[in-house]
Amino acid sequence: MECDKCDREAVMNAAYSGAHLCEVHFCRSVEKRTRRRIRSDAMLPKDATPEDPERWVIGLSGGKDSVVLTHILDETFGHDPRIEMLALTIHEGIEGYRDKSVEACVELADDLDMRHELVSYDEEFGVRMDDVAESDPLNMAPCAYCGVFRRDLLERYAEEFGADKLLTGHNLDDEAQTALMNFLEGDVKQVAKHFDASLGSFEDRHSQDAFVPRAKPLRDIPEKEVALYAHLKDLPAHITECPHASEAYRGEIQQLLWDLEENHPGTRHSIVAGYEELAKLAADEYRGAGEANLNECENCGAKTSGTRCRKCKLVDAISAV
Amino acid sequence: MRADRPAFVAAEQSPDMDVTVEVVGEDTREVVIDDGETYADLVRAIGRSPQEVTVLVDGSPVPEDQPVTADSVTVLRLIKGG
Repeated sequence: MECDKCDREAVMNAAYSGAHLCEVHFCRSVEKRTRRRIRSDAMLPKDATPEDPERWVIGLSGGKDSVVLTHILDETFGHDPRIEMLALTIHEGIEGYRDKSVEACVELADDLDMRHELVSYDEEFGVRMDDVAESDPLNMAPCAYCGVFRRDLLERYAEEFGADKLLTGHNLDDEAQTALMNFLEGDVKQVAKHFDASLGSFEDRHSQDAFVPRAKPLRDIPEKEVALYAHLKDLPAHITECPHASEAYRGEIQQLLWDLEENHPGTRHSIVAGYEELAKLAADEYRGAGEANLNECENCGAKTSGTRCRKCKLVDAISAV
Repeated sequence: MRADRPAFVAAEQSPDMDVTVEVVGEDTREVVIDDGETYADLVRAIGRSPQEVTVLVDGSPVPEDQPVTADSVTVLRLIKGG
């Protein structure tokens, strides 16, 4: 089977578009869609200059998504003096799993000559996820603790580095799963918050002063294509499952979406496009309503609606074991 | 049209085909498929979704909507969380 655009052999087909592309044209297509998303979401403000550059912190886990994101951002903006990029890697204290992916991050940052910072739950909170999964003082899924710690560190370091935006490697499948899960939860206020936090174009979003805004340049690229890109470019991506992975509901939704996509190609794209439009309407409706005033955590200073933030409460519970 | 064909011709047109499928990091198995079935069908036959793997023939990825012509393929699981 020939590529649609040249006479090389096709390496993939995309059922949702009917395209058959060779290695060169497929990789070009992934890069093009990513750049188009960066433009259409207005991620790079027009007033960024070499004197007053835009600062992006990239959440680099060493998995295929963040590795591909970092690679494409470097190819696109690595020599653009209007942008400063820093890759941030978090070690959760998961032996074997995270050790290997941290190696992938270090290797990539070295290859790209990109500034790279490595922080760990152990150094920051005195907590290791291997131990937390074992002791589990609040009887929750490991991901529930881990997500709180990760958000805290990403937020704290993005702020410390003076980041204008925090970029993550979420792909189309991730976004379609989250959209469907939020929809099935029926929590429209959550959908509204999602829009301003990480979803819409920066021209449509209202900034939340308390938090560094998130952006997801890969959100048009199906997960399989991100993985294929990493494979074809021979990027040092680490592909194994977290040994503590426990998001059973997300797995169920993932399977459901794969089945839908098989029978109705393009379902993920339309879910995400429709969700985003609805989220914008929801944000316009709910913005500012019933928002708690944010205080500083009495212990660490993080933003919280109470007196002690969720992360500190979790650390308290873990160290009380 | 097809129903009008003599049965033996139909049988000759869809002979079974043995394909050796190596799933990287897991196992290698023999899969019997019908002539004309695609690489996506082959992936389904081993209980995976075409959305989560890539099929390699001689080390190169192939479009999964194409009929299987290779008698040996490698299946690369691409998706296992970040």
